[in-house]
Amino acid sequence: MISQSSCRGAGGSGRVMLRLASVTKEYRDGEVVVRALRGVDLEIGAGEFVAMAGPSGSGKSTLLHIAGALDRPTAGSVEVDGHDLATLSERELARLRRDRIGFVFQSYNLIPVLTAAENAEYILMLQGVAAAARRQRVRELLAEVGLTGLEDRYPRELSGGQQQRVAIARSLASGPALVLADEPTANVDTATADSLLDLMERMHHQRGVTFLFSTHDPRVMRRSHRLLGLVDGRIEGDGAPADLLDGRL
Amino acid sequence: MIARMAWRNLWRRKRRTLITVASISLGLACVVFFLSLAEGVYAQLVDDAVRMLAGHVTVEHESYRDAPAVDLVVADASSLRRRIEGVEAVAATKLLIAGQGIARSGRGAVGVSIVGVEPQVEAKTSPLARKMIAGRYLESGDESLAVIGSALAERLGLTPGNKLVIASNDRDGNLVERLFRVSGIFKTGAEEIDGYLVEVRLADSRGLFGLGADDVTQLGVLVRPGYDPARLREQLAAAIGDAEIGRLNLAVRPWQEVIPELAAFIRLDRVSDHTFQALLVVLVLSTILNTLVMAVLERERELGVMLALGTSRGRLATLVLVEAAILAAIGCTAGLALGGAVSGLVQVYGWDLSSLYPNGMTLSGLALSTTIHARVSAHKLFVIGALVFAATVILALFPAFRAARVSALEGAR
Ligand SMILES: Nc1ncnc2c1ncn2[C@@H]1O[C@H](COP(=O)(O)OP(=O)(O)OP(=O)(O)O)[C@@H](O)[C@H]1O
Ligand SMILES: [Mg+2]
Repeated sequence: MISQSSCRGAGGSGRVMLRLASVTKEYRDGEVVVRALRGVDLEIGAGEFVAMAGPSGSGKSTLLHIAGALDRPTAGSVEVDGHDLATLSERELARLRRDRIGFVFQSYNLIPVLTAAENAEYILMLQGVAAAARRQRVRELLAEVGLTGLEDRYPRELSGGQQQRVAIARSLASGPALVLADEPTANVDTATADSLLDLMERMHHQRGVTFLFSTHDPRVMRRSHRLLGLVDGRIEGDGAPADLLDGRL
Repeated sequence: MIARMAWRNLWRRKRRTLITVASISLGLACVVFFLSLAEGVYAQLVDDAVRMLAGHVTVEHESYRDAPAVDLVVADASSLRRRIEGVEAVAATKLLIAGQGIARSGRGAVGVSIVGVEPQVEAKTSPLARKMIAGRYLESGDESLAVIGSALAERLGLTPGNKLVIASNDRDGNLVERLFRVSGIFKTGAEEIDGYLVEVRLADSRGLFGLGADDVTQLGVLVRPGYDPARLREQLAAAIGDAEIGRLNLAVRPWQEVIPELAAFIRLDRVSDHTFQALLVVLVLSTILNTLVMAVLERERELGVMLALGTSRGRLATLVLVEAAILAAIGCTAGLALGGAVSGLVQVYGWDLSSLYPNGMTLSGLALSTTIHARVSAHKLFVIGALVFAATVILALFPAFRAARVSALEGAR
């Protein structure tokens, strides 16, 4: 199943971008133990465009946080772009997030005191890219995501869809290998969701960036090239969206 | 970009930031003002005292301080005076002969301090000459005239024109008695002056103590305004020369050695003053800390986002520190400017407190003018500003550490 799926991406090169092996995650809340992930094995090849679906509480966000080095698993191993996360210090994890991983969040999570352009520039600043170079790069990127003319607006002056475009630009500005997006279209209308998907797909094609995003929206699932079905902290389905969705519907 | 973010973060909550800046600057302005006021009062006390007594710097016999006796004189006073008056920082010199004696009238006798002065010099420099409440101060031709304090006058039942006998021992131990007439009565408000001081002409005091025509017990030196009295001592010592100091057994003393009670009083008063001001600063700092902690707590998610994006924890802490530094810099600058300006006005124009103190003010027995002039020192302003600024940044370490401890997961929500 793994070898089968890893060749499926548009730019699939056979190299593994993300590997989860027997990953479990438990949250302890006093006496109660919540098992958010119960043994996840997953391999995503470089250049794949993968969606993840599942009922609320099935562990989608948890999986993305662990894949994105924001949280550590209770057990199991995680490998991102060839790095075994268990062996990295917190500082090294931060650097990995900065240089190799892009994040897009459900509620955009832009930095409110920075303009659209500055938000997109932020990670480049962290990387120490010279101001002139990063301004140039971000201007082009914002044009690509369709925000020309809005560069100097603050997040509060932008619509939800526009903010998410900024967030996508931010996630891509530093040239990451993997972009993780947790329900990126949950807060926007369908037309905007479609256009955001267009954008993500185009970036995926143009840049060969690996995408893994979670969603509740079947329309969005259909646009992925590979769909994961998460139920109760386990991957219960993995295959072409059409197969999975039609089989289930 | 960190500085830009810090700046904008501060103005997200305009009201809160403005209130914080206002409290820093007002607190600091108060500190500066009270400090300058106190320094002004001290300066005035010192100025009055050194003018009335033996100058900012006193040249006297090296043993006089330990056991004041009229035979411990400064000989060759006039040639010394010429040398000293050649020093640029010197405003005036005054010759004094200070000894002990007994003043007697029909009413009784009182042990007194007898000070021989040059009337024309004292009239120009000493506040005593302006504190006459009856009769007039001495003039240069006033042979066998004396001015006495109000309390002494009362005890001896004297008014201007009355006679009094002053008895003393001359340098050889002989009893000398002389008849004087009261020329005027002064009232300084200080009991030890009004009750025991008698001033006569220098020449008359020489007679009382059996001193030579060029002998004095003190040569007082007043510093020119704008010059540093603390440096005057060395300048004078240099002007007189080691050889002369050695030959005449001289000591060149700053006023702190000549009036140690006043120096001690000022030192003590400063301590209590500074304690009060430190309290004010602590109050100011607590509002700053409060603001900074709030600013971090309400931004945990945003800080989490920054962390998730790969920002180092150190940089998060730096952001908060920079915010604190900006806050402190604005507050301190405004506070110093405001405090400095108000104090400056009170320095130049004075603050008339006579309506508050209709009977005049005294400070530990020393009479004080009811118009207070502040004294602003750029050096002190700088020190206070730097202190508050540094304290703010150090305090900001707490919220900064708090900021550095946010969870990246917080930012992913
Ligand atoms: N910090 C936490 N502490 C305790 N339990 C948690 C925590 N985060 C998640 N959980 C629990 O773990 C399980 C998986 O949560 P997760 O957020 O990953 O689900 P999800 O698939 O993203 O759901 P949704 O579709 O609603 O976003 C849930 O039962 C949730 O209550
Ligand atoms: Mg979720």
